[in-house]
Amino acid sequence: MSMPNPLPAKASIIIVGAGIQGLSLAFNLAELGVRDILVLDAGYWQGGASGRNGTLIRGAFSSPEWTRFFAHSCELWQGLSRRLGENVMYSRRGYTMVGERSATAGLLDRTLAVHKECGIHSHLLTPGRLREVLPALAHERVSAALHLPDSGVAPHHAAMHAYRRACEARGVSIHYRTCVTAIDQSAGRVSGVRVGDQRIASDTLVLAGGAQSNALAQMAGVPLDGYPMRLEAMALEPTRPLIGPAVALLDRLCYMHQTARGEVVGGAEVAERPQHTLNADVPVMAATARAYVEMFPQLGHARILRQWAGLVHISKDFGPLLGAHHALPGLFVSAGWCYGHAGAPAAGELLAKAIVSGQVDERMRPFAVDRFELNRPVVEPGIVLSHFE
Amino acid sequence: MRRVDLRLEHASGEVVGFFWNDRPVQGRRGESLATALLANGIKVLAWTRKSHRPLGYSGNYLSGVLARVDGVPNVRLDLFPVAAGVRVEMQNCWPSPAFDVLRLSRLIPSGWIQGGFEHTNLVPSGTALFQRWEAILAFLAGSARPATHTGEVAVPPARRLSAGRLVIGGGPAGCAAANEAAAQGLDVVLVTRGHDLARYARAAGLARPVLDERVTLVTGVEVFGAYREGALLLGAPHDPSLGALALEAEEIVLATGRRACPPVVPGMWLPGVMEARTALIMASEQAVAPGERVVVVGNGDQEALARRLRQLGVKVVAVRPLGDLRRVAGRNRVKAAYFAERIACDALVHSGPWLTEASLTFQGRAEGLLQLHEQRPCDWQLVGAAAEPDQPVPVAAPASRHTLLCPCFDVSSHEVQALVEQGITDLEVIKRLTSCGMGPCQGQPCWDSLRAWVSARSGIALELLARPTLRPPRRALSVAQAAGLADVVEPLK
Repeated sequence: MSMPNPLPAKASIIIVGAGIQGLSLAFNLAELGVRDILVLDAGYWQGGASGRNGTLIRGAFSSPEWTRFFAHSCELWQGLSRRLGENVMYSRRGYTMVGERSATAGLLDRTLAVHKECGIHSHLLTPGRLREVLPALAHERVSAALHLPDSGVAPHHAAMHAYRRACEARGVSIHYRTCVTAIDQSAGRVSGVRVGDQRIASDTLVLAGGAQSNALAQMAGVPLDGYPMRLEAMALEPTRPLIGPAVALLDRLCYMHQTARGEVVGGAEVAERPQHTLNADVPVMAATARAYVEMFPQLGHARILRQWAGLVHISKDFGPLLGAHHALPGLFVSAGWCYGHAGAPAAGELLAKAIVSGQVDERMRPFAVDRFELNRPVVEPGIVLSHFE
Repeated sequence: MRRVDLRLEHASGEVVGFFWNDRPVQGRRGESLATALLANGIKVLAWTRKSHRPLGYSGNYLSGVLARVDGVPNVRLDLFPVAAGVRVEMQNCWPSPAFDVLRLSRLIPSGWIQGGFEHTNLVPSGTALFQRWEAILAFLAGSARPATHTGEVAVPPARRLSAGRLVIGGGPAGCAAANEAAAQGLDVVLVTRGHDLARYARAAGLARPVLDERVTLVTGVEVFGAYREGALLLGAPHDPSLGALALEAEEIVLATGRRACPPVVPGMWLPGVMEARTALIMASEQAVAPGERVVVVGNGDQEALARRLRQLGVKVVAVRPLGDLRRVAGRNRVKAAYFAERIACDALVHSGPWLTEASLTFQGRAEGLLQLHEQRPCDWQLVGAAAEPDQPVPVAAPASRHTLLCPCFDVSSHEVQALVEQGITDLEVIKRLTSCGMGPCQGQPCWDSLRAWVSARSGIALELLARPTLRPPRRALSVAQAAGLADVVEPLK
């Protein structure tokens, strides 16, 4: 992790964005034998959404499309330390989806059926079993709970560290604090990027710029569905273990877990006009606190250490925008991520294959960049997010 | 063991009994638990997270005053008043404070346990042992047992308070700013974290300022955060049974004063080192001396501080310029301070380097889509010491002896040195790689120490090293207090 070399004059592939998506893709491309990979990022290492997320790895959702994709990613997380040669600290501690309203219990029943269909290991917890898994929960409020034993959490610090080390060990050139200012095209396809005065030639360009994705697409002169949105989280002062698995409180659009550092980290969504700022606000903290007080009463006296905001890129159906961009040959996109930390190992692997071999994996196909133009959105009812109405 | 009594002659107040690790001790009504324990000669109140170094009441490092009080973990002993029968228990011990096996971790060479708890290649994930390893890490990192109670905690209702002029800080400058506006007929609210006005100024021997009776005075509330481009501020009462405050005003005046940051020299974390304001208020209001033999250092104000401490009955054995301090020595508490010569002492009070409270101004001015920087103009008025420039933080000359930059999390200068040598000087990145400043103090004062240290060792000018983002609420707010805010702050529509 030494001081970066000067920028090269050309690269076989340029990835814009050195968050977990960009690094996972670079790693997978290097593993497929691609050389001269260049990754550029306007921010700092571990900034952006890759340094601000809730670190949850959820391996199944309520739609078959999301479930197949994220189950694959979850499987990759489990072997990722060995693959990267660095510890990503993936903790297979389980992920419990908790419903309070009776309608949510119905959703969990249907979700279980989808998991069976996809061959995913999950089960509804009986009240007695739920007490063993989450003894601190306010059980009288719960209508149903679905448990994903293979899911868990992975601290983003460790994952970003591991990916960067693995990339650099394979010769990938990574430059932070390096802002792409223009995207060049010639003969109707990508021909390179500019960083200020400097031109870097490449016939393949991947936009993995998180909340900056729209600005980057505009620079390339191509349309991209989606908008930047602020998500917020907060961390409580550490205590010894109280909450074992990762938890989604579905009726409160709230997710949380207790880190290996003892802090309870989580956030609840509130209905607000989408904000394009890194400054945190009050309502999310208050809603999260209310969820904690009611659902985990032992947290009531706990102190809030810090709250923060991160920016994600949200697509119309909340699903990723992954693959070749239909409007410009040589351009690929990995955007629309609101579960990007969880999805990064699979996204990097499948997109790398698509770039190198041109073959689009079945698990990736539903998330094609042009799906809205083709009127094929992916409906996923089990996510902890909503559009502002 | 010789009985230590740090009570000064002017001590008054009813004697009250409480418990420290199940042992009965006595305090005086009106003083804090931290002061009462120190008066009993109990200097070690907590242990650092990884290496189990002792920490005490310093005014610098919050971890040193966190303990379990009546079944609630992480209670600030310097804010919790002495009350009859209260049970106070040391944290980060196992199985018990009396027989603490975890203290053996102090024998582990500090070089072995670098990084936060999330960086280790010892047991990689995906192996059979990892979940057990992680459980051990979580136990050690957690330090404190979760709260004993299991019933729902009452949510104290929050309230909104708006004013023509809002003054934050109850010192002489804050009172003057409030009085001036009240005289102009403005509707004025003054919020101070103290239980009374001008505690520091009065401890230093000045008269209590007279506050115009038209000013609405709110005491015991920490204003910890600025939101919505500085238009909304939040405050939380120290008493967790009282609700949070959402504050709005046409004019905002910060009279938040300054705090003394520890100079970056070895041993500053040792129990017995104390920040000047804390020491002076304790000696004056609560009649407890910081130690039996006290060394005073300062940035030009050391003689005045020493004179005042002596007036109050404190035995000051030496007074020196801050820049001459080379290190503080001791294994479990201060034994000596080293200047050109060694001075035996059991306490060191440092007056400076004085830094302004940076959090609120940062949040009021912060903007940026990749990283928050102070770049938005903000019409807040800074008065008194808050308007004065920060003093440079002295950094010890390079030596083999390491300095702790973040004592609560055991982040040493050696660890950061290794990163600087790799070319990593971005404080945001160093924070993420070491956990420096991610404990209860949330970087105050540790990021100032880190920043001064990285600047000194890398040669990068201090102004070019941005502090990591100063995030609210820095543990000023409890979960229950935050929950009450849902009723008074609407989401942006």
